[in-house]
Amino acid sequence: MTKGKLVTQIFVLGILSIILGLGLNFSLVRRYLQDEFSHGFVSEEDYPNITFITLPEAEDLFLQGEAAFIDSRTFDKFRSGRILGAVNIPFEEDHTEDSLKSLTFPLDKTLVIYCDGSDCQSSVLLAKVLHDRGFVSLKVFFGGWEEWLQEGLPIEDDSE
Amino acid sequence: MIQNKQIILAFRFLIGAVFIWSGIIKIIDPLLFAQDVANYRIFPQSLSFLIALILPWIEVSCGLLLVLGIWSRAAALMISGLLGAFLILLVITLFRGIDVTCGCFGALSHTVDYRLLLLDSGLLFLSLNIFFYQRRAAS
Repeated sequence: MTKGKLVTQIFVLGILSIILGLGLNFSLVRRYLQDEFSHGFVSEEDYPNITFITLPEAEDLFLQGEAAFIDSRTFDKFRSGRILGAVNIPFEEDHTEDSLKSLTFPLDKTLVIYCDGSDCQSSVLLAKVLHDRGFVSLKVFFGGWEEWLQEGLPIEDDSE
Repeated sequence: MIQNKQIILAFRFLIGAVFIWSGIIKIIDPLLFAQDVANYRIFPQSLSFLIALILPWIEVSCGLLLVLGIWSRAAALMISGLLGAFLILLVITLFRGIDVTCGCFGALSHTVDYRLLLLDSGLLFLSLNIFFYQRRAAS
């Protein structure tokens, strides 16, 4: 077999996969282009109770005092600085169930979940777990700890 | 490299079956796989999405070709390339200490660890054997 033939076959396989992948998921591609997955791959159909919120919305919820803030970062990060009054539920594969035992909020409580910032994923992953547990008002604050800190909003740490 | 025809045939069926299975699992739930890819925190959101839609079809088509014995060299080379890329991704992830599921087998995936490196390396060894055996057979 010549090198050219091999390259042609690989090219054909690649093109075929692109056509199948994009063609058969056309509705997902359309939803992506409408920005549905810009902050996380959370389908509104599968997770209707999860919404993504910005810093001003998170601040409003904080000032109203009716929502609970959930920090999905590691315990060490949580200890060294967190949103004032936040509860730590570190999202770690295989260990999240243990952390959830400390969560005693009623299912209709609004929970604002955050992690480091816009490139971390643990807040979205934790929101999915909490959704599956029956919580009906889940807000993922995708700006997270970095944005909150930058804005100089109320924080606390374990040294106080 | 192994030269026995029967062993290479067994490798083809094994690798083919693994890739058909892992591809189908990802095709069933593309958003779950997209989230798995995004969790590695290496690719931007748009690229994670494209990988999640296209990669499973590459896996299934290459797996099928290996099982059927059609374009086996091209399929083995593509699979070797994928496994090599996964290997690099796993090493980077382990170095960065990110706690993440591999996303290799959909909801059945487990956390990235050294066992996964061994599995990936083993599969890469098998697919490279198929590629080099087919090259000898073709020449």
